Amino acid sequence: MSLLEVEDVHTYYGESHVLEGVSLEVEAGEVVALVGRNGVGKTTTLRSILQLTPPREGDVRYDGESLVGLETHEVADRGVGWIPEDRRVFAHLTVEENVRLSVPPGSDEEAGLETAYEAFPDLREFADREAGTLSGGQQQMLSIARGLVNENDLLLVDEPSEGLAPLIVENVAESLQSVAEDTTLLLVEQNLPLALDLADRFYVVDHGQVVDEGSTEGVTTDDERFERLSA
Amino acid sequence: MTGALATVVEVFVSGMAKASLYAMMALGLTLIFGLLGVLNFAHGSLTMVGAYVAGLVMVTFAAGSSGLGAVVWFVVAALVATTLVGGVGAAMEVGLIRKLYDRPPIYQILLTFGVTLVLDELMRIVVLFYGQQPRADWRAALGTKPSFVDGNVSVLGASIPALELFEVAFGVLVVVAVWAFLTQTRYGLVVRAGSEDDEMASALGVDVRRVFTVVFALGAGLAGLAGALLMWDPAWGASVPLASETLLPAFVVVIVGGLGTFRGTVIAAVLVGMVDGVTTYFFNEGIITFSGISELMIFLILVGVLVVRPQGIAGQAEVGGH
Amino acid sequence: MFLWFARRVSRVKRRWGVISTETVDRETAVDTDESWVREYARDHVAHLLVVAAFGVYPLLYSLLVALGGGVAGAFLPRPETMTAVFYFGLFAMSFDFISGYTGYLSFGHAAFYGTGGYFVVLVANGKVPLLPADTPFMVSMVLAGVLAALLAVVIGSVSFRLSGVYFAMITLGFAQVMYVFMRDWGFLSSNPRDGVAVSNDLHPAGFEIGIPGVDALNLAIGPLRGDEIEWLFLDLGATEVSYYMVGLVVLVCYFAMQRMVHSPFGRVLVAIRENEERARAVGYNTFRYKLGAFAASAFFAGVAGALFAGVRRSVSPDNSLYFLVSGDALLASIIGGFGTLAGPLYGWLFDRSVVEFLSKTGAGGGLLPLLREYLPGSVVEAQLVGGMTFGEGIEVFLNGHAPLYLGAVFVAFVVYVPGGLLGWVRNRLGGTVAKQLPAYLAKLRR
Repeated sequence: MSLLEVEDVHTYYGESHVLEGVSLEVEAGEVVALVGRNGVGKTTTLRSILQLTPPREGDVRYDGESLVGLETHEVADRGVGWIPEDRRVFAHLTVEENVRLSVPPGSDEEAGLETAYEAFPDLREFADREAGTLSGGQQQMLSIARGLVNENDLLLVDEPSEGLAPLIVENVAESLQSVAEDTTLLLVEQNLPLALDLADRFYVVDHGQVVDEGSTEGVTTDDERFERLSA
Repeated sequence: MTGALATVVEVFVSGMAKASLYAMMALGLTLIFGLLGVLNFAHGSLTMVGAYVAGLVMVTFAAGSSGLGAVVWFVVAALVATTLVGGVGAAMEVGLIRKLYDRPPIYQILLTFGVTLVLDELMRIVVLFYGQQPRADWRAALGTKPSFVDGNVSVLGASIPALELFEVAFGVLVVVAVWAFLTQTRYGLVVRAGSEDDEMASALGVDVRRVFTVVFALGAGLAGLAGALLMWDPAWGASVPLASETLLPAFVVVIVGGLGTFRGTVIAAVLVGMVDGVTTYFFNEGIITFSGISELMIFLILVGVLVVRPQGIAGQAEVGGH
Repeated sequence: MFLWFARRVSRVKRRWGVISTETVDRETAVDTDESWVREYARDHVAHLLVVAAFGVYPLLYSLLVALGGGVAGAFLPRPETMTAVFYFGLFAMSFDFISGYTGYLSFGHAAFYGTGGYFVVLVANGKVPLLPADTPFMVSMVLAGVLAALLAVVIGSVSFRLSGVYFAMITLGFAQVMYVFMRDWGFLSSNPRDGVAVSNDLHPAGFEIGIPGVDALNLAIGPLRGDEIEWLFLDLGATEVSYYMVGLVVLVCYFAMQRMVHSPFGRVLVAIRENEERARAVGYNTFRYKLGAFAASAFFAGVAGALFAGVRRSVSPDNSLYFLVSGDALLASIIGGFGTLAGPLYGWLFDRSVVEFLSKTGAGGGLLPLLREYLPGSVVEAQLVGGMTFGEGIEVFLNGHAPLYLGAVFVAFVVYVPGGLLGWVRNRLGGTVAKQLPAYLAKLRR
């Protein structure tokens, strides 16, 4: 049994049919990349897993139990975390407040803060600044830190490198790599070299369906299977 | 020159007293708008219900008790009004507004408008049934003020109504309490996070729906608390029209402050209260002869701020990245 | 750090969309040898039926009350009430014209209604410069509309820079400024809070509606000072004459608005409501369209206010300029159908019918007198909770407390029938009544 099983999921935004039967599996401990062009349904796949945009058909199982019909916060309680596109830090909360909020109730907030600051020493420096005043890279670090202290077994990571300078992207990649040591990752990434570098396996998504999959072992960015990505 | 100083003190305190009433009227509204995005038209009606509930407690239990006894009963009355009206708010959110979250916000506004009609008319029926006039202030409730809140106090040569000092103290206390709740407690943190991005908060494990209910109840409770305070003020008093009379200033304060911002609401309340205090003084002195000057100024502030700075004093044009 | 609102505002700023029930396709199956008159009549069969129904209503009412007595009187609104339904219905339609079609909630619409009402009364009292007290009512009514439209251009040119809740609030602010000003302006009358009334010395007769200057084509309105007509078997009192004359003006206004809504202009308004960005992107100057619609809407609101003041011969700040007057228009629009134009009139008819059914204390109508008359004494005397008898109970709950029930009905509409009465009917028919009815009738004929 895989940690996450997405089975023939159909999702709509109003009347528009975005996911037309997506199926994929993620094993515990893996890093899996979802690649594909803009607007093919990668982000929607993550939202459907989180029940932010609940699927109309199909099933999402986590640890063998269906998530469909649960509220998003219940999905989060079970250990599925989200590092969304555009970071979505709480701009008017301080860095420290952003982290504190992410520590689940009942866990030690101070320990959570320590974990976050150890992983991202920069954040300690900005602890009292409003998160909205940080640079894009720093916000991305904060967003990852939030996912880190949120005590998840599976993290859904959406476009972590988007809009960041190459040097910062390297930092982000490194921190994701260290997060991946004890967390399973499902990663949406446009930056193909980065995706292949981080992931163990990949799925190619097109027009709301998975059209290809495989191991990243020995696969390069000029593999013919990725041709459709640039089309 | 002591006369001039006394006048300044008198006008300042009366302005601050008005500011604290306006802040009380608007705080709950701004909390609810900040988190839920619902402009609650029933807010004035909830204030009105709070005024009657608090008045009922006072008239029933505190009539005749003087001094400290009356103040203790007032605290009880305020708590009862807050709790009861808060309960009405929770029921509104769970029973009605929750059904409409996935619709355009106009429907939530319309819904609360309908609730206003029902609440006002229910209260009118109750009040008429007990032989009271719905339009006039409830004299018996006004009369439960202890003598030391009723008289005047001499400060720096100025003669200041004790009620105004009481109102300022009450308002400051409530503003500080709400501020402490929002910034110093975990739940306040959750409320602020949910106000910014409820989706992200829920993905971090926050049960946003429950927070919505709690905040709606809290906002309504604050309306009830405002009602309790207004019940003692002869310029307001418990009456059915109190609903629309408090709703409009509350709107002005919330909009002028910047929809849904706590700090902006407090600043706007001070601004509107001081302008009200100063123009009232000018009118009383005969410097201005137009009797509606204070009200006129309040709405001119609304229009002026919306023209010059639509996002309000403390609001930000558009922040956040998605 | 207390600012926590980013997302919320964008949520509110998102379009205040409303249900779109308008179908654009035209009914085109026309027999070639039909004359255009018949074709036109068939296109407007729904309108003709509605006008005919309103036309016979006063006669029907007196007939039914004569036959059925108290029962018919209890359920049917009186012609006086229907006259009020006409002018306030026109105001509600003008509100819908701007708010329902563009999605901009004009929460200060009472400003235009009040402008119309105050203007005609002040003209009649000789208080408006350049206009003599004996200016024909028709002229001052149209001028009232023009003045309201000019006011709308001023208010709109500032307000349309905002949208959503901010637009609603700034228009509310303008209207309240006017309300406070007119309420306390000593020039208007000795007690401006109670409003202004038409001087009976200057105007012993009621205001006349018709064609100015042609005496034969004018009829005076107003319950006390209106004209009465006896012609063949018809015997119309002042109430009925007012009903028809006000109804006529409202009908003309309705058709004018209806034409605008169905013109290319109206389609741009709907496009603005659906997606203003896109409307702008395809090259429309949406600001101008909104301003134009606002002015047109204000014109009709002004005319409605003029009719209101013309019938009642007085106007007060609380019944014309207060924000709850705009609230009533909103109520009518939601119950009748937001964005349907005709709906608000039916919404207000519904509203007034409920009020009258539940409020009348006098003889000859309403639920309460009916119950008093027909309930057996044993039921009336029956004890309910706390020593209150059933009779006292119905006195408390059925006497003048219609807003209680209307509020509940309104909430039910918002939650369960968001399209309103007319929106619901259109959904059922799959298009506007005017377009679907002829097709339906044609099907029946076959």
